[in-house]
Amino acid sequence: MKKVTIYALSTCLWCKKTKKYFEDRKVEFEAVDYDKQDEARQEEMMEEMRAAGGTGSFPFVKIGGASTQGYDPEEFEKLLHNK
Amino acid sequence: MTELLEAAELEKLEEGRLRPAWPRGLPVLLVKTGGAVYALENRCAHMGCPLAAGSLDGYTLQCPCHDWRFDVRDGSFLNAPELRLRTYAVVIQDGKVFIKADL
Amino acid sequence: MSIQARKTALRFLFEPVIDKLGYKFTPAKEDADFLLEQEAIIEAETGIPYCPCQARTRDRAENMRMVCPCIPFHRAHYDAMRRCWCGLFVHKDVTDPDKLRQFPEAKMKK
Repeated sequence: MKKVTIYALSTCLWCKKTKKYFEDRKVEFEAVDYDKQDEARQEEMMEEMRAAGGTGSFPFVKIGGASTQGYDPEEFEKLLHNK
Repeated sequence: MTELLEAAELEKLEEGRLRPAWPRGLPVLLVKTGGAVYALENRCAHMGCPLAAGSLDGYTLQCPCHDWRFDVRDGSFLNAPELRLRTYAVVIQDGKVFIKADL
Repeated sequence: MSIQARKTALRFLFEPVIDKLGYKFTPAKEDADFLLEQEAIIEAETGIPYCPCQARTRDRAENMRMVCPCIPFHRAHYDAMRRCWCGLFVHKDVTDPDKLRQFPEAKMKK
C-alpha cells in the first residue's frame, strides 16, 4: 500500500472531505495541519508544496512518490493505483 | 438632484497626498496628483475601509486594510475593472474645490 | 461581536462584490455556513478574513492575495473551476457545486 500524507488546514472544508474520502476507503494516512505547526515546519511544508509545483492551497496530498493539490477523487484513485 | 458641494480649499491640497473630506456628511477622498484634483468615495469597494489612510503612487491608490489598488482617475479596481469606487466630478471655483454629488 | 453576527456581516459585505464578478454564494448551505464561520474566526484572531483553505506566510503581498473574496487575484483559475478555491463562491450559473472539480492552477495551464 502506498503511503498517503495529507497536508491540510484545520479550517479547510475540502481538507476534511479529503480525509473522509480516504477514511471511507479504509486507506491509512497521516494528516498534518499546517496551521497547527510552528513557523519553521510551516516553511518546510510550503517549500515542499512549491517544489512539487503547487501553491499554498490546501489540501496537498502525497500518495507514494507523487502529489496532488485539491480535493480530486479521480486524481486520488489514479495516484493510488498507478504502478 | 445634482448639487455642488464645497469639499476643501484648493491651497490645502498637497500634490501626492490623500485628504478626507465630508461635504454634507459624504465620505469623500480628495486626491491631487499630476496637477489635477480627483474626488472619490472614501470607502474601499472591498470591505469599506477608509481610503484616506492608504497610500498613493502616481494615480494608484492603495487601501490600507488589504492593499486593494484603484486608479484615482476613474475609480477602477486594478485587478477587476467590474469593481470600482464611486467618483465625483470636481469643480474648482474661487480657490475652492467643489464636488458634484447626486443627493 | 459574536461570530454569528460577523458571519451575517461578512455575507452582507461580500455579496455586492462577488455579484459584480459573476459569482454567488454556494447553494450548498452547510458548506457556506462552515466556510463563513471559519473566516469569521480567522478574522477574530488576525483582523483579516483570510481564505480558510490557503496558507498564510510571512509575505504580506502573498497574504493579501488570499483575503476573501480573493477572486480578483485568481480570476482565470477560479473561472476555469467555476468556483473559488474554498468553494464559498461559485459561478452564478452553478446549481450543483458538488459536480465541480477542485484542481490546482498549474493543471489549468496544461
